[in-house]
Amino acid sequence: MWKERYEIGVKRIDEQHRELFQRVEEFLKATNDPNKDWDQKIEKVKETMNFMGEYVNYHFDDEEKLQEEMGYPNLIEHKEAHRKFKKGIEEYIEKLEADNYSEDLVQEFGGKIMTWLIMHVGDVDQKLGDYVTHEKEEH
Amino acid sequence: MKAEYLNPFIEATNSVFRTMLNLEPVKKDLRLEGDLITSNDANVVLGVTGELEGTVIFGFPKKMTLDMVKEMSGMEMEDINSFVSSALGEVANIISGNAMTILHDEEIKCDIVPPRIFIGEYKSFAVEDEQPIVLTLGTDMGDFDLNLFLKEKV
Repeated sequence: MWKERYEIGVKRIDEQHRELFQRVEEFLKATNDPNKDWDQKIEKVKETMNFMGEYVNYHFDDEEKLQEEMGYPNLIEHKEAHRKFKKGIEEYIEKLEADNYSEDLVQEFGGKIMTWLIMHVGDVDQKLGDYVTHEKEEH
Repeated sequence: MKAEYLNPFIEATNSVFRTMLNLEPVKKDLRLEGDLITSNDANVVLGVTGELEGTVIFGFPKKMTLDMVKEMSGMEMEDINSFVSSALGEVANIISGNAMTILHDEEIKCDIVPPRIFIGEYKSFAVEDEQPIVLTLGTDMGDFDLNLFLKEKV
């Protein structure tokens, strides 16, 4: 899933992004594996939901800290994008539990988390990357 | 409907396709249709409410749908399953949400109703005396249609 064009030029943030892409890719491969039955897949789903619930918060906090340190002008807008992303994940964590991890809902979440992640890192975070590059050139 | 309502959707489509799929859509055909019908394999239908009301449909051929998901996920999919449908719906949802933001900047305030995905032909005859605009966009992965029927709320 990961592509070099998603890099923003800050090593630790790029590593966190790679980790997120890696986990989502593993989730998608496991949930779309025709050779596994659904019970086997559910374990991977639960593991991914636990990971996402924690790691996304850790990553977003770290990214926001960097933005604050740099005086990033789009901080408020970017924080709002993070808030919506986290809310989306939290809602699916609850829905999936309530729905006992049905295949349709898991697949729906897979389509969404993949799209959200690419759009966030490929678009919103690239603006941060452009700012970081610009600041490096200035100093 | 006014053709100018189409531009925010074209702008948003181009931007999202560039980010998500590394594709640059080009305009291939623009026409008026009698009814809101799409004969594409996968159709994402979104409602619009607010100062503009109506329907937007993104219609994709099956091969293009699967190629788009392959570009995003790195996985070869054989069929349009729930995962593929959800991903396609979310791409269309993001495009439409961004189009709403552009319209909002032009002082036209409206919202989208979450997408529904129809596999196979989609028909809606509930179109009054106005005709929907159908724009065909071409990409390296294939051609797709953007059907737009929006009218100003009276």
